[in-house]
Amino acid sequence: MRKSHLLLLIALLLIATVAITACGSSGPQTIKIGINAPLTGDIPKVGEGTKFAAEMWLDDINKAGGLEVGGKKYQVELVIEDNESKADSATKANTKLITQDEVLAIVGPQSSKQAVPAGEVANNYKTPMVSPWSTNPNTTLNRPWVFRAAFLDPFQGVVDAKFISDEFGFTKAAVLYDVASDYPKGLADVFKKSWEDLHGAGSVVAFESFTTKDTDFSAQLTKIINSGAEVLFTPQYYNEVALIVQQAHELGWTGPIIGSDSWGSAETVKLCGSDCYGSFFSTHYAAAGATGATKEFIDRYNAKYGYVPDDVGALTWDSLNLLKQAIQDCGSITGDLGKDRQCVRDALANIKNFPGITGDMTFDEQGDPTKCAVIVKISDAGEFEFYKSACP
Amino acid sequence: MAVKTDSFTAPTKRRLATFWQPYTRVAMLSWLTGALVAAILEQLVGRPLAFMLGLGKVPVLFGLVIILKAPLLIPGVIVYVLLIYILPIGLIARLTTKLGNKLAAELLRYPMLVSTVVHLVLLYATLQIWGNINDYRNLVLRLTLISVLITLSLNVINGYMGEFSCSHPGFLALGAYGASAVTVSLFVNDNLFGPAVFTGNWGWIIFPFSLILGGIIAAIGSLVVAIPSFRTRGDYLAIISLAFTFIIKSFIENLEFVGGPRGLSSQPDWANLPTVFIWVVVGVWVINNFVRSTMGKALNAVRDDEIAADAMTVNTRRTKMVAFMFSAFWAGVGGGLFAHVLRYVNPSTFGIQKLAEVLAMVYFGGLNSVYGSIVGAVGFNLLSEALRPLEIFKWIIIPVLLILIMIFRPTGLVAFKEFDVHQIIAPKE
Repeated sequence: MRKSHLLLLIALLLIATVAITACGSSGPQTIKIGINAPLTGDIPKVGEGTKFAAEMWLDDINKAGGLEVGGKKYQVELVIEDNESKADSATKANTKLITQDEVLAIVGPQSSKQAVPAGEVANNYKTPMVSPWSTNPNTTLNRPWVFRAAFLDPFQGVVDAKFISDEFGFTKAAVLYDVASDYPKGLADVFKKSWEDLHGAGSVVAFESFTTKDTDFSAQLTKIINSGAEVLFTPQYYNEVALIVQQAHELGWTGPIIGSDSWGSAETVKLCGSDCYGSFFSTHYAAAGATGATKEFIDRYNAKYGYVPDDVGALTWDSLNLLKQAIQDCGSITGDLGKDRQCVRDALANIKNFPGITGDMTFDEQGDPTKCAVIVKISDAGEFEFYKSACP
Repeated sequence: MAVKTDSFTAPTKRRLATFWQPYTRVAMLSWLTGALVAAILEQLVGRPLAFMLGLGKVPVLFGLVIILKAPLLIPGVIVYVLLIYILPIGLIARLTTKLGNKLAAELLRYPMLVSTVVHLVLLYATLQIWGNINDYRNLVLRLTLISVLITLSLNVINGYMGEFSCSHPGFLALGAYGASAVTVSLFVNDNLFGPAVFTGNWGWIIFPFSLILGGIIAAIGSLVVAIPSFRTRGDYLAIISLAFTFIIKSFIENLEFVGGPRGLSSQPDWANLPTVFIWVVVGVWVINNFVRSTMGKALNAVRDDEIAADAMTVNTRRTKMVAFMFSAFWAGVGGGLFAHVLRYVNPSTFGIQKLAEVLAMVYFGGLNSVYGSIVGAVGFNLLSEALRPLEIFKWIIIPVLLILIMIFRPTGLVAFKEFDVHQIIAPKE
């Protein structure tokens, strides 16, 4: 009785399976691309931007009837994995994408905390990976299989120092930064070095720091004002930017205040108000005043999801298009994953002057792009306006 | 597991009980043999079978990962799990009941160590073969084993001693950084520590020492929490220990020589499955002996009533200090293993999110219980892998599950159960 029940159950299940597999038998060959994004956790907005950009990209491919490689059209499938904004989860997700889902290449993870360990996995398994947003040098360092679409912190420091010198002709600069946070600290150090290379030792007259979540900067700002600095560089996030700029003006600072791509959030102007008008910062792309393909991307994204995409969305878009370009350059998809991955990696490394919406890109031997930064001016209407393009 | 039985479920329950009855006499030896055979079977015929069932490839983690993405595959996954795991294990358990019991009894004539080692070798062989199928499975297995160690070490304080300590991420960080600093500085050409001091295969001897060093650093750090715990209990200790976690995090953020907020990477790849398995087994064995010793009973006494325990000659200060240092030591070892599996650590990994994770595993599995920690860590890890495709809903389902467990089993799934090795490996009839 019992056994017959069990047998019956198995038989039923077998029939059901065969029936289902018969219906869903695979059609043409597909290209699988993995997306490793922080859909939950600390920075879900970043994950959302990634996902939206990726879905838009897939729509385009599908509308064209697939991705054309060497005269043959392939369906593209995106495998989106959530890394919960955790390092261990990102390695798990990458391992799963590579060994279980057998993707051709991976886009993501976004922040360096996940991209550094995940890059190790991708490199070990010889799978091309493009991290759109990570700025930690370790992500791509000595890893031939890992690339990134964003420029590095050092680069931005150099560009900003050069822009200020060329634009205003100043020789004395002050820096105010968060010593406990990875990104501002790295950028502040690089800025100081390149400024002193331009204007001699001691030309950074004030190099002041604070720690994350400080809200009162009057001590540091008073020092900066008394030091005789002509320009203030502060590579901080939007919430601190508002406080720093407002307090500086209250204390009588009149010179320009320059920032980095961390200013590029819609919140900056909301919190800072008219105090921030007239300030400059360097970033990946500018939404207002964009032209050509960049404008087209922004408009489509805005129409579809209801808000202007930030740099994560734009960089993800570029990363996916870089991959697309690489796959097409490859010429053919053999179906042998090891071979195809090698081919895509080589094609990625050989891409020259790729016209991305965040600038033209060429990868150097470390897999970091050489591209131009955009200098944005916050206009008197509180909009981020394209001011000029700054190349190293 | 159901608490009440009504007229409808009673016959089903009775039938289940009669079905299960012969299996209660199966010795652990037979179960493990069954599992090993299932793992070998999967190695041999898993791929063709999965292909035949339309699954494409061998389902990792019992198909939990794919069924949410492709619900159409559920019948195939069930058939696969039945054919590869449940039927062979059940069959072998039934067929070898007599033999297994006899062998188990025979083994127990020798010192218990012999029998234990035989069981562990079987368990290891099963895990190794099972993990060989796919690297993702291997990684999940290693991280799950490490979770078991970390959960168990937290259970010493939160379960056995009954304090609510939030300092575990801090201990993990100390252990992870302590062990990594040794291995990276000695064995890797790194831009933080300069060129490698040693070359060649010294890893197998240095790695255990670096893990132990990480554990010792964590144990010394734990005194910062242990000493205030003489005077504070409950919420206040929770706040102090939480502060400790933040102190460690910002301390490491400001330590330039281990990379500061950028983190420390390129640890050598030494935490493979056998290494992790051995460390976790040793950890579980030591912790289990600890909590069953006089010291362990003293912990329980402190939990139940500190003043009464003091009156009954328990040195409560010493007990607390030893418990904290012991727990922190194993957390540090777990952290060191974790760092060498990921081969990258940074301070922000060891924040509130990590704390929530380890606390959830402890309270999900069960307080005051080694079984509970194993069930909690394995269950939580599998669940978290299985529900990953649900994205944000995962973080609704898991907390709801936790709430349900807190309502129906306030101390966790398998709480207050002794982990008696002799009972596990003994013949069942």
